[in-house]
Amino acid sequence: MLKFVPYILKGMWRHRTRTLLTVSGAAVALLVFSFVNSVQQGLARLTTNDHSQRTLIVFQENRFCPQSSLLPQDYAGQIAKLPQVTEVVPIKVYTNNCRASLDSIVFQGMPADQLAETRGLEMLAGSMADFVNRQDAAIVGEIVAARRGIKIGEKFSIGGVTVLPVGIVRASQAAENNLIFTHLDFLQRSRGDSQVGVVTQFEVKLSGAADVEATAAAIDDRFRNGPVATATRSKGMFQAETISDLAELIGFIHWLGYACVGLVLALVATTTVMSVQDRIQEHSVLQTIGLRPSRILQLVIGESMILSTTGGLIGVAGGVLLLYFGGFCIAAEGVSIAFQPSLSLAGLGILISAMIGLLAGVAPGWQAAQTKIVTGLRQP
Amino acid sequence: MALTEVIDVTKQYRSGDETITPLDEVSLRVERGEFVSLMGASGTGKSTLLNLIAGIDQVTSGSILVDGVDITRLSRPKLADWRAAHIGYVFQTHNLIPVLTAWENVELPLLLLRMSAAERRKRVAVALEAVNLTDRAQHYPRQMSGGQEQRVGIARAIVANPSIVVADEPTGNLDDETTEQILDLLRRVNRELGMTLLMVTHDSEAAAIAQRMIRLERGKLHELTATADALRTSA
Repeated sequence: MLKFVPYILKGMWRHRTRTLLTVSGAAVALLVFSFVNSVQQGLARLTTNDHSQRTLIVFQENRFCPQSSLLPQDYAGQIAKLPQVTEVVPIKVYTNNCRASLDSIVFQGMPADQLAETRGLEMLAGSMADFVNRQDAAIVGEIVAARRGIKIGEKFSIGGVTVLPVGIVRASQAAENNLIFTHLDFLQRSRGDSQVGVVTQFEVKLSGAADVEATAAAIDDRFRNGPVATATRSKGMFQAETISDLAELIGFIHWLGYACVGLVLALVATTTVMSVQDRIQEHSVLQTIGLRPSRILQLVIGESMILSTTGGLIGVAGGVLLLYFGGFCIAAEGVSIAFQPSLSLAGLGILISAMIGLLAGVAPGWQAAQTKIVTGLRQP
Repeated sequence: MALTEVIDVTKQYRSGDETITPLDEVSLRVERGEFVSLMGASGTGKSTLLNLIAGIDQVTSGSILVDGVDITRLSRPKLADWRAAHIGYVFQTHNLIPVLTAWENVELPLLLLRMSAAERRKRVAVALEAVNLTDRAQHYPRQMSGGQEQRVGIARAIVANPSIVVADEPTGNLDDETTEQILDLLRRVNRELGMTLLMVTHDSEAAAIAQRMIRLERGKLHELTATADALRTSA
């Protein structure tokens, strides 16, 4: 079959306008497919990874916006005494936009030592020491830094919060690359109305053997009759509920991904049918020379697979580059979903485009292979 | 033993409500190394007989033995393999693959046979030289004249050294001068390469270059007298 690849490629080159249009269509569709899937993967990463399942978020009961959750900071000490709790991180969250937005800025203020030790941040530029030593310092996630053009040493203000970036980091959790980390007490004081002693939430890390649900219930029981009641959920569940509206929308747009697949299938199948109809006589000549019908089928499928896979490769590569350099992220209520490229995403896109090529070529290829030679030779 | 034996072959097909019988219990023997021309008016079934012998059409009844193999009993894939090894087909309209160069068109039948790349190159070069088109090897069909295209078609038909070369009106689309060149080439293929040739033509002058002339009328074959060419040869 490999001996006939030049024949296939030359045939495609002969109809290069048609080839170009088909490959372009497939590329655009696969680019959209990659985008849609990266959003879905981002959502899945946010809600189902192990970290999200083994970490609790303590929030004020019946509150959903981070601006309205006001918990006493000294709850941290009480939570830390519970069995199976290994660490409690008090976090003040401030966002410039609670609604769903592609350009939400989310500040998280937390104790500097806990930020350095527990977040698993990879320092891409700057230093953690500078952060520890300066009150208005900020560590900026790489996505938001790229999107907003934030550079180390250049102060910036967003929503009344003015910080000096001293480090740009890559977090182990992709969504955290959209965060700006500050000192806890700095963020508590930053907007004029002092909220010292008040935090938005606690992030509670549990030991491996801990019963997540029982611990969450124990935390809520402890503060049920306190000054502020709490609602404690796993981080995954908390994030899923916080962005539930967005998640529904994302769930819906996966149909867009399927539509892209259908579009490529229709496009490549149409091109393949046209190609076969153009070559009825040519295929009969090839069969006269001695090509088996199955070889004709392979030639047609080969052509449709090359068309589809080439388009898929271009689309997926474009999608991966765009996702990598675009730093896209959507946030709502202070929770971010990062659109990130991944090997699995690229592999899936290429595999699907190859499968589309296979499917698109089967029917026209079968038709070409089954055409009687003498009938085909009489075609103009 | 004859190279090709057509034994009581009947071919029928339906056209609307009508059953047409272009070949009615036809029998024919072609000896190895013979050059046979098959004549007849349009629609008499001469191309049908050629296609049956070439294994690209199916008989309604009867059998066709080529080199002892009854090709009417072969499956489609086996028949394709058999054609690759035993048949060289020269079309009236050349039917070269337009996206391939002359070299690649001639090489095409060899890609189906077990053969090293070096052997393929050697055979293609010899075939193109035989039709005097070595200098046109890298030209595409659209860059060649009708006569040159037909010569490439002949090179493609002979390159795999087939048992029999069949030619369906090979000069049907050519002017007189080019026709003469092509006929001369076919005669050389038969004489110098020793290949068995079966040529369909409606042109009696073209048919006369063969050693045997056969006329097909009303579904039956009629052997004509030895051709002038054959007489010349024997003299």
